[in-house]
Amino acid sequence: MIPGFGLTMGYTLTYLSLIALIPLSTILLKTAGMGWVRFFATVASPRVLAAYRLTILASIAGATINSIFGLGVAWSLVRYEFPGKGILDAIVDIPFALPTSVAGITLTTLYAQNGWIGRLLAPLGLKVSYTPLGVIVALVFIGLPFVVRTVQPVLQDIEVELEEAAATLGATRLQTFNKVLLPALRPALITGFTLAFARAIGEYGSVVFISGNMPMRTEVVPLLIMTKLEQFDYQGATAIALVMLALSFALLLTINILQRNSLRHAVG
Amino acid sequence: MRSDEVELTSVMHGEGWGGAETPAKAVARATADPVWARRLILGAAIGFMTLFVLLPLAAVFTQALRNGVRVYLAAVTSAEARSAIRLTLTVAAIAVPLNVIFGLSSAWAITRFDFRGKHLLSALIDLPFAVSPVISGMIYVLLFGAQGWFGGWLADRNLKIIFATPGIVLATTFVTFPFVARELIPLMESVGIEEELAALTLGANGWQTFFRVTLPNVKWGLLYGIVICNARAMGDFGAVSVVSGHIRGLTNTLPLYVEILYNDYDFAAAFAVASLLSLLAVATLIAKRMLGGRSGHGVVDAELPVKEAA
Amino acid sequence: MSIEVRSVDKRFGSFVALDDVSLSIPSGELVALLGPSGSGKTTLLRIIAGLETPDRGSVFLNNEEATTRSVRERGVGFVFQHYALFRHMTVFENVAFGLRVRPRADRPAESEIQRRVMELLELVQLDWTAKRYPSQLSGGQRQRIALARALAVQPKVLLLDEPFGALDAKVREELRRWLRRLHQELHLTGVFVTHDQEEALEVATQVAVLNEGKIEQAGSPDDLYHRPATPFVSSFLSSVNLFHGRVEDGRVYVHETPLLVTPEKTQSTAAVVHVRPHGIDVQLKANGKPGIAATIKHINAAGPRAKVEMLTDWGDPILVEMDHQRLKELSLSVDVKVFLTPRDESVFVYDGA
Repeated sequence: MIPGFGLTMGYTLTYLSLIALIPLSTILLKTAGMGWVRFFATVASPRVLAAYRLTILASIAGATINSIFGLGVAWSLVRYEFPGKGILDAIVDIPFALPTSVAGITLTTLYAQNGWIGRLLAPLGLKVSYTPLGVIVALVFIGLPFVVRTVQPVLQDIEVELEEAAATLGATRLQTFNKVLLPALRPALITGFTLAFARAIGEYGSVVFISGNMPMRTEVVPLLIMTKLEQFDYQGATAIALVMLALSFALLLTINILQRNSLRHAVG
Repeated sequence: MRSDEVELTSVMHGEGWGGAETPAKAVARATADPVWARRLILGAAIGFMTLFVLLPLAAVFTQALRNGVRVYLAAVTSAEARSAIRLTLTVAAIAVPLNVIFGLSSAWAITRFDFRGKHLLSALIDLPFAVSPVISGMIYVLLFGAQGWFGGWLADRNLKIIFATPGIVLATTFVTFPFVARELIPLMESVGIEEELAALTLGANGWQTFFRVTLPNVKWGLLYGIVICNARAMGDFGAVSVVSGHIRGLTNTLPLYVEILYNDYDFAAAFAVASLLSLLAVATLIAKRMLGGRSGHGVVDAELPVKEAA
Repeated sequence: MSIEVRSVDKRFGSFVALDDVSLSIPSGELVALLGPSGSGKTTLLRIIAGLETPDRGSVFLNNEEATTRSVRERGVGFVFQHYALFRHMTVFENVAFGLRVRPRADRPAESEIQRRVMELLELVQLDWTAKRYPSQLSGGQRQRIALARALAVQPKVLLLDEPFGALDAKVREELRRWLRRLHQELHLTGVFVTHDQEEALEVATQVAVLNEGKIEQAGSPDDLYHRPATPFVSSFLSSVNLFHGRVEDGRVYVHETPLLVTPEKTQSTAAVVHVRPHGIDVQLKANGKPGIAATIKHINAAGPRAKVEMLTDWGDPILVEMDHQRLKELSLSVDVKVFLTPRDESVFVYDGA
């Protein structure tokens, strides 16, 4: 048999425990020490609830926008030929690769009242910086690659014959898209949406600059946690964090299940 | 020719942005989108990408250079900038190799053996993707901060982890440890175990097999993983922000330094430093593309973690 | 519906798929497009369907110009090689698809759709799979569903692209017979692509052999088999022993051995001679008739007929297929010398280069 089981398992488990498991357990233990009453009081206070609401709603909005436009981007990259296609394909990954503080200050500058985009929106009465709209813009940016990169390979693999079959049966292009392509893409779209959403709810760097961080208005949960930490309110921070973690783990589980399910009807 | 190959070559010759086709191809092909739809979708896609990616990228560099090249150079070579660069490189130099060893070791364990809890282990490696960066930093504060579990113990020995380099290294290591592993696991899975078994039957021991057979087979995937891991390690913001304390000249990585300059209203300098990070991002993308083909990725990124740098 | 292609050219980049191809398919025929990979047969089928447009030339459906008509408007039923069933729809939904996408005005009522779909499923003997998904069916079943789906919209012509290529030998045989019966029942014009000459000759009423983008010969299976017009057709439809020889004074000579064949088409003196293995008489002695002397090198008797590999006296290998009975009669074994007389109908002579 292959050697090295003891060594590799040992190292892997030790590393995981030291770097990840033990530190993560502090959250559970800290909140355990709080007792239910304090926990709920913290988590259900108006400011915290407002932060949850903003975070979740803005993340849904960002992920939705990404799903719609991301599908268009993936479609264009897979199906069309045009000058600059290679560059477009490459820059999809920029939000993955760019540090979030860079994204944060750049988006803020762009959408400020005198920024390149901000000044175009001002006459329309649209204020982006320091509003929930700004949060959504930032979340669209960081979630962008998730939908495109999840949909792209699936779109690429759809057999041409399916569309040709639909055409021979008399379907218009739109009917083919709605009845044949969209159902085939649905799992990938849902996975992409969920990935973008999960990323967005925990996002800090790109949001913290453009949102203005006004409590009850434009304060997202990660920032709230940060604020509590700076005030040494460790228990408050961990309580809020625990709810976030629970949500994130639930999302991760969903994604796993979705990906396993999509393999079920896979045979052609 | 397979019919889908046939279709591809037809597309290459026919379906363009302006719908400019030869007369013989002017007839709509079965699977071609109508011209108006094509224009709409492509236009929207290009517009969306321009708005959300190209403009910000352009803005970084224009803002960086808006006060002239001299101010730019001064900003990126200032003492604080240099110490930020040093710290960023140091952190990456520690975190990445540690995670490479972890990646190799966990990939070996998972793909070469069968044991109960294998799937659980694999799922655990995805942990950082489910944890918000702020929380990733927070857990170390809870452990090693002044009021943390080991706070007193560390203070007694005058050891600083939080608000010092070790804390930053820890947080960065946590946030980036899945990357190399996630590259290697599917790769080693698909490469298969036969060659290693063959080496063993020929008398090689574990280490020899590993260095002479396994490593060469995965070298491109490993390199790819290192590139991504490094990009994250140098670019992380949220987690490091929590543990660093933002002490100028001491505990600021480049991403943090950007924030400090910006909060000081020193915009040109902030963007100057940001431009360095942007160049790093572009270099990372280029490296990814070059290595992607050889490591079996093709054009599209299959990794897609839930959370990346913040 | 009758189909006609006239002078069709099609290239993909520098690859010439079809070169000045013309073919006429009368209504009601079941035509096989037969040829090796790359011969252009699938391209021709797709051009008829409207899935490809020719670079040059025209397509006529029922004597009307259809070259510029979109595939939707041609009223063709197409069955793909790998079925192309919609995997997220049930079998019923798949078959009903063509009816459901009709514009409101032409769409039949739901009850009518229900009736037609079940009728078709019964026709292909798969009515019990209506609620299942394609992934739950076998290859042969999926193929029949693909057929039912194509028939649902009452096409005027049925086009099949290597319909049985991906199936096991047994299933293939069954489906071949089944397709022939279906064609007889429904009286549809049908065109199918295959690289299997046995399939073409068995199922089709007309066969067109394609090679490198050109039609080598088109006609009834009988015609093609007994009167192959070119060496390619001859060697594609049957295994052959190939010799080089010459024609002189109405006789064909292979290595100075005259074969009693009156050449009809051969003008030049150099000739390529095809001799089919199963049409050779074997004797132990030359009894006055002209023939080929050969020595037996290998006998393979495990099969419906015996395959005997021999070496002619001038050194060419020759394969002879004979009945086991004859093998025993002559007490043939390795190294025995025999005398071979090919029967006239098994010898085909072509212009040599």
